[in-house]
Amino acid sequence: MIYLDNAATTMHKPQCVVDAVVNALTSMGNAGRGTHEASLDATMVVFGARMKLAQLFNAESPEQIVFTANSTQSLNIAIKGVINKGDHVITTEMEHNSVLRPLYEMEENGSELTIVKADLLGNININDVENAIKSNTKAIVCTHGSNLTGNLNDIEKIGAIAKKHGVIFIVDASQTAGVFEIDVQKMGIDILCFTGHKGMLGPQGTGGMVVAKNVRVRPLLSGGSGVQTYLKKHPEEMPTALEAGTLNAHGIAGLSAAVDYINETGMENIRKREQALMWDFYNKIKDVDGVKVYGDFSKEERCAIVTVNIWDFDSSQVSDVLYNDYGISTRPGAHCAPLMHSALQTGEQGAVRFSFSHFNTEEDVDAAVNAVIEIANEKR
Amino acid sequence: MAEQKKLHYYILFKTYTQGMMMQELLKKDGIKSRIAPAPRAIQGELGCGMSLLIEPELIDAVRESIAKTKAEYHDIVPYETNINPGRNRFC
Repeated sequence: MIYLDNAATTMHKPQCVVDAVVNALTSMGNAGRGTHEASLDATMVVFGARMKLAQLFNAESPEQIVFTANSTQSLNIAIKGVINKGDHVITTEMEHNSVLRPLYEMEENGSELTIVKADLLGNININDVENAIKSNTKAIVCTHGSNLTGNLNDIEKIGAIAKKHGVIFIVDASQTAGVFEIDVQKMGIDILCFTGHKGMLGPQGTGGMVVAKNVRVRPLLSGGSGVQTYLKKHPEEMPTALEAGTLNAHGIAGLSAAVDYINETGMENIRKREQALMWDFYNKIKDVDGVKVYGDFSKEERCAIVTVNIWDFDSSQVSDVLYNDYGISTRPGAHCAPLMHSALQTGEQGAVRFSFSHFNTEEDVDAAVNAVIEIANEKR
Repeated sequence: MAEQKKLHYYILFKTYTQGMMMQELLKKDGIKSRIAPAPRAIQGELGCGMSLLIEPELIDAVRESIAKTKAEYHDIVPYETNINPGRNRFC
């Protein structure tokens, strides 16, 4: 099987990640729930992961790293934790439902929402973000990279706009964390939301947030914390404030090993490799009769995603043929980004997404190119 | 066995993460500490379940290190114990 669905999850994990999880499953107690060896093992692994992630994203302190189950949980905590009734929020048509649905929920509860439009290439105009700011604007929530087109947003520029107007800046880095350099302080990011199982190369069920020290986030959950037992209120100190319940320390052990792998391999090397495969694929299929590629390929720096349609073929059927006849795994249909599909006019047909990992090979790319050409030729 | 009561110092924290951060900073200054459950009698309402147990002869160095690094903690409490804190197998 040729796995080209890395934007959904990276299936091929580094061996050190697998080993770390297995080791954790056979040795670790509950992090932050005691001081015997098994508990301390877990506590130290979790703390080690916080330190590594704080360094990776240039957080102000390891305490500002919050572990969650995934980006969706991080975004829900961030959005529901800072926005109140009467607040205005700005987001974009590039967003995934993990941003849109919590925002719609907040809108129903009395906040105001402006959604900045995307063009036919799937890009937003950053000026539109600044122009949408009003006196009651509380936050800008936007993606770093589109899961549908692979287009990147200039996060540093949007962060500067947010800082200029005193607005909280929440970034969805689901498609970029672990692959693109993210410096939360330099980029003016108040809350970074990431998942552990995509570009970070960790296990599913891991993710997190990087929260600026001056931002107060209302907890989504309260309960077990391992500390301050006799208080009625959940602890206010970070990161415990946003981490009610037992952490997924087994998964975090894998995520920690994954950060080591990224550091040792070099994030730039990983990025260049997967981008080279993406560009190779793009260049070989872009002019094939019947193939329509979505997104902006005028910039060298983009996520390793190529989303296409072939003639008017149903995208799900194309993906089905790709898997059953060629053994190539892709993602068809809608991609949890309904407004992006509307902007690209692919609401009806959906689209087939090819997404690459640095573990893929040139042979994988050539097999996918060959398959696309053969399927496109069926219409002639 | 004869009782060996000895005054030790417990550094108390509001979260485990505060405690782990403090131990890292003390390690950098070459100061030994041991992670131990905070004795219930001195935890109060706010203390977290863990503490750093410090031998009495090191407490001045610890205070200097804390003043320098501004490491966060809840309290430093002297407390009599008959447990030998020399056992530091896990950290």
